[in-house]
Amino acid sequence: MRLQGLLRRALPGGERSDDRRHGKFGWALLAVGGLAAVLLLLVMTGAFDSAFAQGSPFGMRPSARAAPEFGGIVGWLLAKQAEFYRMLSGLIRAAKVDGAAVWGLLGLSFIYGIFHAAGPGHGKAVISSYLLANEETWRRGITLSFASSLLQASVAVLLVGIAAVALNATAKSMNSAVRAIEMVSYGLIALVGIRLTWVKGRAFIHSLRDWRARQVGDDPAPLAPIAHDHTHAAHEPPHSHVHGHGHAHAHEHAHAEHAHHGEGGHDHAAHDHSAHAHAHHHHQHATAAMHQHDEQRHETHDHAAHEHDDHCGHSHGPDPEQLAGSGGWQRGLSAIIAVGLRPCSGAILVLVFALAQGLFWAGVASTFVMGLGTAITVATIATFAVGAKSVAKRIAAHRAGGGVFILRGVEAAAAVLVLFFGVALLAGYMVTERMI
Amino acid sequence: MARRATASLCGFAGMAALVAAISTMTVTAVSAHPHVWVTMTSEVVYAPDGSVTGVRHAWTFDDMYSAFATQGIESKTKGVFTREELAPLAAENATSLKEFEFFTFAKLDGRKAEFGDATDYWAEYKDSLLTLHFTLPLQTPAKARRVDLEVYDPTYFVDFSFAKENPLVLKNAPSNCQLSVKKPSDAEVNAKIQSLGEAFFAQADASNYGANFANKVSVRCR
Repeated sequence: MRLQGLLRRALPGGERSDDRRHGKFGWALLAVGGLAAVLLLLVMTGAFDSAFAQGSPFGMRPSARAAPEFGGIVGWLLAKQAEFYRMLSGLIRAAKVDGAAVWGLLGLSFIYGIFHAAGPGHGKAVISSYLLANEETWRRGITLSFASSLLQASVAVLLVGIAAVALNATAKSMNSAVRAIEMVSYGLIALVGIRLTWVKGRAFIHSLRDWRARQVGDDPAPLAPIAHDHTHAAHEPPHSHVHGHGHAHAHEHAHAEHAHHGEGGHDHAAHDHSAHAHAHHHHQHATAAMHQHDEQRHETHDHAAHEHDDHCGHSHGPDPEQLAGSGGWQRGLSAIIAVGLRPCSGAILVLVFALAQGLFWAGVASTFVMGLGTAITVATIATFAVGAKSVAKRIAAHRAGGGVFILRGVEAAAAVLVLFFGVALLAGYMVTERMI
Repeated sequence: MARRATASLCGFAGMAALVAAISTMTVTAVSAHPHVWVTMTSEVVYAPDGSVTGVRHAWTFDDMYSAFATQGIESKTKGVFTREELAPLAAENATSLKEFEFFTFAKLDGRKAEFGDATDYWAEYKDSLLTLHFTLPLQTPAKARRVDLEVYDPTYFVDFSFAKENPLVLKNAPSNCQLSVKKPSDAEVNAKIQSLGEAFFAQADASNYGANFANKVSVRCR
């Protein structure tokens, strides 16, 4: 019923029956719009061809073709990284007799990491979609990229360290371990996707209703700050305690975070002011201090004390200390783990090869330097995603309700994309790195 | 009104940027570069009556994968594996490769050939390289004027190429049959190079590029 309350907020004075009708309409539009957007993107990029080539339920295989051919920059990147990768083993071998070769190994590992991340891989896609779907800063994007890369390198080292060095496990059992980790990782991606889709889908419907209301009301852009009350129904965020922090935390937060962060332990997408009927897209709070919400005060939360202007973009991002704070880390943790849990096949092969040469430590160093290179590339892509989002947000600010509506639609589509990646990876429809 | 029109234009630009961003990611999400390299020497096996009965493969893995595959396998001498010690590994590969149709795609006179389970499989370890031997029997042996054999991994995780020396041997083949290793035609190479663009040509040594095609062989009988 929270949803209906939400919808009622969007259309003040709207009839209840009207709400229901619009609710259905909204869901239908969300489903159709989201799916259409995702499908269009996939078809456009030819992703289906390759993504479903392996293990396709329809038994389709690219017939009479050699290895998939990538043209242009992607083809060149693939050729290069394959070349770099093949050079790694030679350098590890050389390091056995000549200590100085280790520097060459580290340098090559770094370059390989950069190139490797620039090529195909689901991690970047998930992180970028995640960033598109959320209100995130470039700082957070970079943090996410580095944290997930570091985790990925650590998992590879731990796995080979425990399985091969300590237990002398066979390739077969290491493969099984990787597969188990993979499944958990993909499942987590799907879960993050489900949650994002739910939250962003609702925000999208909200903005859709808002937009439609404006069309009907012929009131394109109310500019003046208007005081309005929030009922609890509308205000209550869809608490999702994925990270296991309790209610005490959920009701005590800085208002700056309260309004802008759509991701993490408590999600305030439904509370987004840009989607309100009054289109107060950008608001600054008179008091930046921590609000102490108890249940009673939460019931009627008065926004009259806040300053509103008519810009959509919530341009004031979180402070660095906020990012470093517990809330900051927790919000991105699910994405970091979902993406970083799965070790890179190349790193495992390098580690085992180094172990066989009696130079396990060189493999460990190589793996972490590789991770550093990977992080730099992923961070670059993530920054691009965040930048594109902020440009779109700024533009949406000038486009009355329609802009916000499109923005929320893109967010919802990106959320569906994360879900799609998770499901496709889980179902094995999507080709990604694998061990044989 | 003018301001609105401009805003709309900007809006389109912004959305285009977002779409481009997602597209890039989607493209990057589909495939990987090879992590395993296999150098092959194969045989097309004939019955006394001249019909093709199957294909016999010898796949030599690259050094990294060889180390990975033999990790944890018990051996009397460290770093040396006997055929017996590698027997479980060979059996496991012969079974698990079935899921991937042994990456082997053959045509007899243009018709797709169906293979049965792998037989006569064994593995050897020499100079730190692992080689897997196995035979793929045709489900129905047949005479064919032309046999086309292609080995590839559609996901390109494994890079297959025939050895430069003796890529394919014809065993008990009728005397009128000849091997032809399919080298890429000039047109194919040119198309490839063009798709890579001038920049590639300027920066990289493209002379080896044709090696990517060297995973097809064919036998023709007059």
